Amino acid sequence: MRLRKSWIVAKKDMAEFRTNRYIMITLFMMPAIMGVVIPVSYFLPIQLFAAEESGPPLEINLTMNWYHQNYTIHGGNYINASFNNMEISYAVIERSFVGNTTLTFTVVNNSVLDNVSLENSVITNSNIYNLKSREGTLVEDSVIVHEESSETKEITITMLNFILFFYMIIPAIIPTFIASYSFVGEKNNRSLEPLLATPTTDLELLMGKTLAIFVVTMIATWISYAISSVLVNILAFPLLGYYPLPNAIWFIGFLLLAPLFCILSISVNVLISAKVTDVRASQQVGGLVVLPVLVFVFLTFAGPAFASAWMMIVYSLIFLVIDAAVVFLSTKIFRREKILTKWK
Amino acid sequence: MIRTKSLTRTFGEVVAVEGLTFEVNEGEVFGFIGPNGAGKTTTARMLCCLINPTYGTAFVKGNEIGKEPDSLNIRQIVGLLPEAPGLYEQLSSYKNLDFYAQLYDVPAVKRREKIKELLEMLRMWNRRDEPVGTFSKGMKQKIAIARALVHDPEILFLDEPTAALDPRAAKTVRDFLSDLKQQGRTIFLNTHNLDEAERLCDRVAVINTKLVAIGSPKELKEKFWGKTTVVQLRELTSRVVDAVKALPFAKKVEEEDNRLLIDLSNPEEENSVLAEAIVRNGGEIQFMSELKHTLEEVYLELVGG
Repeated sequence: MRLRKSWIVAKKDMAEFRTNRYIMITLFMMPAIMGVVIPVSYFLPIQLFAAEESGPPLEINLTMNWYHQNYTIHGGNYINASFNNMEISYAVIERSFVGNTTLTFTVVNNSVLDNVSLENSVITNSNIYNLKSREGTLVEDSVIVHEESSETKEITITMLNFILFFYMIIPAIIPTFIASYSFVGEKNNRSLEPLLATPTTDLELLMGKTLAIFVVTMIATWISYAISSVLVNILAFPLLGYYPLPNAIWFIGFLLLAPLFCILSISVNVLISAKVTDVRASQQVGGLVVLPVLVFVFLTFAGPAFASAWMMIVYSLIFLVIDAAVVFLSTKIFRREKILTKWK
Repeated sequence: MIRTKSLTRTFGEVVAVEGLTFEVNEGEVFGFIGPNGAGKTTTARMLCCLINPTYGTAFVKGNEIGKEPDSLNIRQIVGLLPEAPGLYEQLSSYKNLDFYAQLYDVPAVKRREKIKELLEMLRMWNRRDEPVGTFSKGMKQKIAIARALVHDPEILFLDEPTAALDPRAAKTVRDFLSDLKQQGRTIFLNTHNLDEAERLCDRVAVINTKLVAIGSPKELKEKFWGKTTVVQLRELTSRVVDAVKALPFAKKVEEEDNRLLIDLSNPEEENSVLAEAIVRNGGEIQFMSELKHTLEEVYLELVGG
């Protein structure tokens, strides 16, 4: 196969895409909607909820040199204190050590916390070891050395995985718009026959047309990814205490799974083109290719296990096999003979 | 240049083309005429290696159709103008031609020269940057013809090049084809415009799924009607008719008002004897002429009117 010939076809197709306003609108709208609207609509409410639940700081009246354990404390102000195995609520703690304790509606400043659970508390300028969980808590200018999952964090991470699969819709859906013009449009325009009369092989032509759709789709997908990564990081940092992206799951998603979804979508559309004579009908039937992607979106609700880095590799391998089968079928159907005699 | 042997193509139960055997010589304009559904387009597609024959074979400049890499070689040396122009409507005429020239491996410098030459010949150079979608049917057809020629093909396949064009656009296209003929290009012309075929083609094949007849338009006309002399008389008498019928070279004599239509084998020699016989028998000749049959009459005779 001569890739140069395929690239000539791809360049021509891309030049045509540039003149088609429907394709251009699709290519611009997808990154705009998916890259901006999704991170904002999913992470901003979580952030607002977390901030509201943290509550206002309490008034401070200092009580010095306390050492307590196995008690429940409600209210009070403590400085240079040491707490172990306690439940503290509505207190203010300064320059103290807090171990194995649950803090509720409490303010902690300049302290060391170890193995604590936080509920609606504010921790400032402290070192936090083994943070067990936190809910509606603000951690300002503190260092979290190790953190066990909290509900907010879990929700945030679940959302992170959830919206990743939303992004996988982009490489699946864009080809259904473009391929319908590229294959059915060219068939209706009757420009396929002179193209088939050129000294190119069937595979070179199919490769060229696929390449054009692949390139523009992946550019749109990766632009969405870049925009959303920045926004997700900005919005998720206060919730997680770190910048979640890039991470392995998203990397595998955008570098492996997204191209595979794209190729699958293009190949399915080639198969559809053989049976459909109308661009819109092709788009409607081709849209069904997002179904496996939607299955993934729903699977992520079942738990984060479905979106671990290893599972992403497993998904990629599964789709690699599916892609290989569908691509093989599309090369069988994209034959001069069949296009001119069997295609509707 | 082209040689077919029992070329046959079926689509399921339908026989599109059956047992075509013919040859097209280099530099010849070969007309392929027949009614709709006769198999003209199917034949052109087989010869351009777009579809394979069900049976039989064909060679285009020594390359066998349907075999690799012969098919690629054939597609490199032929130019096809399909029934519909099939241009990329959003792209300019220059970009349309440049794209095809690249696919035919025409080097960049030659590409520019060739496109300019073709568009100037077709008087389209000043509109080279306009999208093809804004052009009239005739202009699109011109660009499609230029596309078929952009790589200087050795054989040009034209499928109904003037169908659906207004008379003026059709004339422009025919004049251009006439120029190509003068240049000695081998052209395979599918048409049911018989006037066009008669004017442009060195030889024609009449097909109706099967090959019905083949030859130059002149040969075909003579084959069916021979040569007919028309004699217009002041008055047609039975004595004159009997005298003409008695002539040994008069193959067929028809009476029509005051005219006699006589089929002859060699009118150049026999007309003077014929005239003498008429005058000798009291006939008063007003004028004598040759009856001209058209290819259309041949066609209708062959495929049924």
